[in-house]
Amino acid sequence: MILISVVLATFAAVTLWWTMHAWRTPETLAATRFAEPDGDHRLTFSLLLPARHEQAVLEHTIQRLLHSTHQGYEIIVIVGHDDPDTAAVAHAAAAKAPGRVLVVTDHNEVKNKPRALNTALPFVRGDVVGVFDAEDQVHPHLLEHVDHAFRTTGADVVQGGVQLINFHSSWYSLHNCLEYFFWFRSRLHLHADKGFIPLGGNTVFVRTDVLRTANGWDGTCLAEDCDLGVRLSSRGAKVVVAYEASLVTREETPDTIGSLLKQRTRWNQGFLQVLRKGEWRRLPLRQRVLARYTLTGPFLQAFSGVAIPIGVAVGVLADLPVGIALATFVPFVPMAANIVFQTIGLRDFGKQYRLRIRPRHYAWLLAGAFPYALLLSVAALRAVWREYSGRRDWELTTHVGAHLQNANAEAGAA
Amino acid sequence: MTTTSEPQQTTTTALIPKARGRLVETTLPRLPAPDHEQRPARVRRRALIGGEGLLAGALTTLVLTVLGVNISGYPMVNDDEGTYLAQAWAVANGQGLAHYTYWYDHPPLAWIQLAGLSWIPGLFGTEGSTVATTGRIAMLPVIAAVVLLVYVICRRLGMAVWPSAAALLVFGLSPLTVVMYRGVYLDTFAVVWMLAALALVLSPRRNLWHFTAAGAATAIAVLSKETMLVTLPAVVLALWQHTARSSTRPWAAGGYLSGLVLVGVFYPLYALLRGELFPGADHVSLIGAWQFQLGSRAGSGSVFTDGSIAGNLVGSWLDHDPYLLAGGLIATVVCLFVRRLRPPAVAGAILVLIACRPSGHLPVMYVVQLLPFFAIAVGGVLDLVGRRAPARRRLLRLAVPLVLAVLAATFVAPRWWAGNQVALTADYHDGYVAAARYLRDEVPDRANTTIVLDDVLWLECVDAGYRPERTIWFYKLDLDPAVAARLPNGWRDVDYLVSTPALRGDSTSLPAVNTLLTNSTVAAGFGEGEGRIEIRRINKENP
Repeated sequence: MILISVVLATFAAVTLWWTMHAWRTPETLAATRFAEPDGDHRLTFSLLLPARHEQAVLEHTIQRLLHSTHQGYEIIVIVGHDDPDTAAVAHAAAAKAPGRVLVVTDHNEVKNKPRALNTALPFVRGDVVGVFDAEDQVHPHLLEHVDHAFRTTGADVVQGGVQLINFHSSWYSLHNCLEYFFWFRSRLHLHADKGFIPLGGNTVFVRTDVLRTANGWDGTCLAEDCDLGVRLSSRGAKVVVAYEASLVTREETPDTIGSLLKQRTRWNQGFLQVLRKGEWRRLPLRQRVLARYTLTGPFLQAFSGVAIPIGVAVGVLADLPVGIALATFVPFVPMAANIVFQTIGLRDFGKQYRLRIRPRHYAWLLAGAFPYALLLSVAALRAVWREYSGRRDWELTTHVGAHLQNANAEAGAA
Repeated sequence: MTTTSEPQQTTTTALIPKARGRLVETTLPRLPAPDHEQRPARVRRRALIGGEGLLAGALTTLVLTVLGVNISGYPMVNDDEGTYLAQAWAVANGQGLAHYTYWYDHPPLAWIQLAGLSWIPGLFGTEGSTVATTGRIAMLPVIAAVVLLVYVICRRLGMAVWPSAAALLVFGLSPLTVVMYRGVYLDTFAVVWMLAALALVLSPRRNLWHFTAAGAATAIAVLSKETMLVTLPAVVLALWQHTARSSTRPWAAGGYLSGLVLVGVFYPLYALLRGELFPGADHVSLIGAWQFQLGSRAGSGSVFTDGSIAGNLVGSWLDHDPYLLAGGLIATVVCLFVRRLRPPAVAGAILVLIACRPSGHLPVMYVVQLLPFFAIAVGGVLDLVGRRAPARRRLLRLAVPLVLAVLAATFVAPRWWAGNQVALTADYHDGYVAAARYLRDEVPDRANTTIVLDDVLWLECVDAGYRPERTIWFYKLDLDPAVAARLPNGWRDVDYLVSTPALRGDSTSLPAVNTLLTNSTVAAGFGEGEGRIEIRRINKENP
């Protein structure tokens, strides 16, 4: 019992330590931001935009990308041959902006995001490949900053920030938003510093030559972004992460608990696949340990998120000796500290994005912590079960555009 | 916003037609972190390494020598010291948190720490002293930490080296410090943790984990001695000031709060798990103990009333050292008006104000908490004086400390010398040593002897072979029903009573002790006058 407590406490403490990486000192926080660009545009970008049954949001996304202030970029929209609605929207956009927008049709029988991206790779003409999702809201100044970041840091990969915005939709959206906030704002920077990074699914920019040398994406992997990051890290690529609240790519959370569960199952299963592929074994020892820990992280987190509260309950209800009962509370300490920091994170999130955080949102945060941990555990179990029973198909999340409505409402209010 | 300069770049925007497919080679150096707007222009080196470390180390050694020589002979051992050591013994021997029912009189962390240090006296040998006074040796590392922390805090408050060193010496060599810090008091543990918290919130790197650790240290300080809580505002103020204009202030505050609450909560949690949080009919409770401490405890009068307990106590402090107390008080008032020196001054001011309240309990060791903050304030004022000298005139800058040193040597040093000479030579403890030897060697059948005594000799007797359950701390006869139950025939079950100053002082309010005193005769006596120790045999035949 005490041993379990020690293990859980250690894990929770490490998680807390990493989660808070960016806020360690004011200097670390300052270093996580994009540097102010010099106005020079030296690189050219090919922005890949895979879209599948996303005709509702695609048009808006393309229009926003076309507002970019950067001079040299093209947009490659990838649509499936069996998806005429989305294709129609894409072709209409291409007709309106000839030369800027290119439509590539994916003829693969089994469709998923990495295959779509690989289909587009031969058409890429830019120095740098950028990936976005069909529902992303991209800031017009982003490319300029990324251009500058590539040139000043000599990076092979630049990962920009992605942020779920619709925290007000439901209690789990709030937790989901905060997860993104801490992941992109803080944790990814630590991974970049340490030389092992699972990349994000979009707003990720890779030098085309590096990407081609790495043979693009893995079409069979459910977490192609994580896999790409691991493969590039293993080859010693330099990854730079930068987060700027005004420049992040805005996204929406899954619209139901069911789809959140599916999405998370997919990611977890993807992490498992990457773990089993073993590409990370090529890394030097320290990164290898980090890799193993990161890739199993979702499962440990899911386990401890449930085990710690249960341990506390046992400590209170069962008739244990006082010493042992106190020991069961030890892992709760970093966990509770995490909740305190999440509360501050929520406040900070509201300030940075000029969103009003109401008391009920803080209540959701506190009351939802355990149910959300439960949800993550179910997703983790589901992922393990699916992986070992050989079900490796792609469960897609649908998008209704809640973050866009939010933006419109905001614009209306302002 | 950015500080990276790129002289090679032209300012005109290069228009690149879309997608040429060839990478423009960069000629710029790789810059790891492009944005350093928040780094202070001049980073002061504050680490205790090199020459400065040697200086602080040497001064601390000097102070420790003055404190350590004759530590078991002076001052007179206090009953509380025996209590805390006995409780530490109980912890170290797995007998729970106290050698009697633990009733939440004080949080237990201080003697748990003391139990952890109890191996230290063994390194020095215990010849010619009792367990109670050798226990003082275990405190030496804690005192060393207090002394060093005084220096570190001074430096982190932005003071120069010499005022910081002066603060260290003023604190460590004051006869009042020597007499108070030699005792085994919970306050010393509380002080060391509170000073650590203060030093941590003043962390030059403003690291989040330092702030979190500061919160934990604050909680440990309060769980070592609950009255330390009143200095919490000083640490919070330091945290607030130190994170001003920093992007991480809310996080720092959150870290501090987490550390404070999440460590502090373990104490009520312990009570809760034992079912002793709320008052009840037949058990002790944490909240009940708080009610007693805050409400029903007898006051010691006002410090301003002649002849009150509190008045006498302050008088005895002033006898030991008027300079640090008066100088510290003035310096505290001055420092309240200087932003960077305000945190320690706030702590000092709060402690002074609480001591001055018209009624309430003022314990003997209260001044232990006050002294380091006074010393830091004195250092702060010296620093202010030093800064008055114009920076360009180096001679003048050197003259200021020299003049101050001469003044101190003329006016303060003689008195301190006399006070510390007593501390280094006087033996106030030989009566206890002789009594302990008698109890160890002259009493037959010790395992079956029931003896009532004060806590100074309790541990000594248990060590000499008396059974813990038959060795009774005199207080408990009247106050602990579990102890009274061990004596079915009342006072006639007791064989010996050891009458010490502490016992006689409290016997008027303890009827059972009084009965023992009247129904006993002296078997052996040591010393004269008020400090006399008598070993009295109980006359069981008395009616």
